[in-house]
Amino acid sequence: MIRNRKTDYGSYAFLLPAFIVYFSVIVIPVFYSFYVSLFKWNGIAEMEYVGLKNYRNLILSDPVFLTSVKNNMIWIFLTLIFTVSISLGLAVMLNNNFRGRTFFRGLFYFPCVLAPIAVSIIWRWMYNPVIGFVNEFARALGSEWTQTWLSNPKTALYAIFVASLWQGIGQPMILFLAGLQTVPEEVLEAAIIDGAGKVRRFFLVTVPLMRETFIVVIATLIIASMKVFDIVYGLTGGGPNNSTQMLSTYMYIQTFMYNNVGTGATISCIMVIIMLIVIIPYISFTAKED
Amino acid sequence: MKIRKLVAVVLSAVMLLSFAGCGTGSADKKAVQSNEPAKTQDKASSVKEESISLTYWTLNTRQNAVDEIAKSFNESQNGIKVTVAYYDTDGIKEACKVAASSNTLPNMWFNWGGSLGGFFVENGLTYDLTDYAKEHNWDSIFNAGALNLCKLHGQLAGYPTSYNVLDVYYRKDIFEKYNIKVPTTFEEFEAVCATLKENGIIPISTAGLYGWHVMRFVELLFEHYCGAELHDKLNNFEESWDNENVVKALAKYQEFCQKGYFPDGFITANPNDTHMAVFSGKAAMDIQGQWYDGTIIQNDQDMNLYGSFAFPSGGTNRLSAFVEMTQFNKNNTAEELEACIKFMDYYHSEEIVEQYAEYYNLPLPKIGSKAPAEYVNVPIMIETSAKNGTFTITDQAFPTEIADALFNVQAAIANNEMTPEEGAKAIQKAVESYHAK
Repeated sequence: MIRNRKTDYGSYAFLLPAFIVYFSVIVIPVFYSFYVSLFKWNGIAEMEYVGLKNYRNLILSDPVFLTSVKNNMIWIFLTLIFTVSISLGLAVMLNNNFRGRTFFRGLFYFPCVLAPIAVSIIWRWMYNPVIGFVNEFARALGSEWTQTWLSNPKTALYAIFVASLWQGIGQPMILFLAGLQTVPEEVLEAAIIDGAGKVRRFFLVTVPLMRETFIVVIATLIIASMKVFDIVYGLTGGGPNNSTQMLSTYMYIQTFMYNNVGTGATISCIMVIIMLIVIIPYISFTAKED
Repeated sequence: MKIRKLVAVVLSAVMLLSFAGCGTGSADKKAVQSNEPAKTQDKASSVKEESISLTYWTLNTRQNAVDEIAKSFNESQNGIKVTVAYYDTDGIKEACKVAASSNTLPNMWFNWGGSLGGFFVENGLTYDLTDYAKEHNWDSIFNAGALNLCKLHGQLAGYPTSYNVLDVYYRKDIFEKYNIKVPTTFEEFEAVCATLKENGIIPISTAGLYGWHVMRFVELLFEHYCGAELHDKLNNFEESWDNENVVKALAKYQEFCQKGYFPDGFITANPNDTHMAVFSGKAAMDIQGQWYDGTIIQNDQDMNLYGSFAFPSGGTNRLSAFVEMTQFNKNNTAEELEACIKFMDYYHSEEIVEQYAEYYNLPLPKIGSKAPAEYVNVPIMIETSAKNGTFTITDQAFPTEIADALFNVQAAIANNEMTPEEGAKAIQKAVESYHAK
């Protein structure tokens, strides 16, 4: 005979404070942002209802918005290729037993704890065309190929990405390290016995067993790529001439510099929609395979 | 089981109550540094009997002085406490806008004139000091020019704290080394730049990260090619920016960029660092206001190495000018306003100014005010501005969106992404879009 489990209302009571916080800080502002996106508003005066006009204006006639979307897509692509591969590579290397392993783990993780604005200041000086480390290093190697990294619209976005990469590889590296610890030794030993080499063991045994870690890392990196703000704003402010404008920086400029709060809210809603379009299929696909 | 439920409910209630008790109602502020957290205007300045707490936002370049000034003011005043929060030049603009839209402006805040200060007036956020000024005879205290620039949208929008004019600061020793005389015509200025460049010196130190520093040079080109009358009309949007004189000005700017008269990579360099190239002798000129004498002293530089001259734009060689002021929250009570102005009067009293001179833009905009003797360039600049006349600095004449369009044009021309003709059209398009909103 199956006994009906009694509902423990006590647990819901304990969840109530967290629910209130979540509802008031996350849920309500999300819906309020969508509501504001339907208005023309400077944040202070009367709100003027304009329906979907803000969306139409952005998507159909705002070249800076389209540049921002493009830049965010580029950022996501670069993050998935470089951040994932470099942090995974570091995690694999640092998973081995060698002298100084703990020191190197700390060394590679350290940039992650710096405030993004501090990272911006460091890298602005690194990229200084006259006395910056990057150009000086190139000159020391005998190269004449020095650049105005942040002032050149062709290189600015990628220069900012490198700074962000330097800061950002620590976090996924730690997650990959944790994932590597969960791979059972016996499975690897069995693979060795079966004659699998290091590379085959890694790709055919380790990586599949780290599925969950990959899902978490890739999902969080995609979300972070859509939200990237501090380092872009600190290094170039979205310039030169909007060439490094991201959705978050453009949203900030529209809302707080131009007082177009409705437009800013519209950009934030579009950001959420893009994130959902990218993340939901990815997570559904990976969950299906489970 | 009933006891378990009861315990669960009681504990949840306790958690909820403690959570509610944690909220202070204070908004979070993005201060660079602050003495204490600033308060909202809703729960703001508490008026308990004779005790008044005030919040003041200002620039972080003055923190060394203002910390001490606020401390001594608080100690000398029984019942008034001023708490200060600091921001950088662009940070304070954003912080005030954020505060304005969340109804959390402080009791008083630093601001500039023109469109920057005007935003708060337009939206009914500032105290109209017209009547106060009349009652307290401000006409006999402050310079007429400064008071005039503080009048925005029909009200006296702030307490004038400085009246600034911009000049070309230059390294006298570098000029002497290369036998360069102070230019009196635009052509001579170009020749000076060419000579400096030939000798490995950056002619003009500038930085375009926020656009306004490069704008200081570009607006002088507008003044040169458009003349005073057309320039004023352009700034008032009475004439189209898509005209040949604007194109000529932008073409000359492009030429200066191509000839390398500005530092490499200047477009995304930080304008707060332009003095470094001049102080180190790598650059020879920088367009700055009279606060630069203070900057020279603060950085222990030899004042004798620095001079200034009016940019030879032609006509009367007008100088770019702007005012700084302290604006007051419209919701201040009469007592709070009185206390705010008491602090401002103390901050700008002769004794305090003498003590912290290098942290002020001197002379103060007060009748009879003088700069300290070591500020050798300031009296010359003030006299020149009175003789030559002034025009309103562009980023205060323009709303932010149009100023940003100009800054984007500056960056695009510097990177050869835009021609001067396209630049002129882009500025006019921004003007039209803004007015069509």
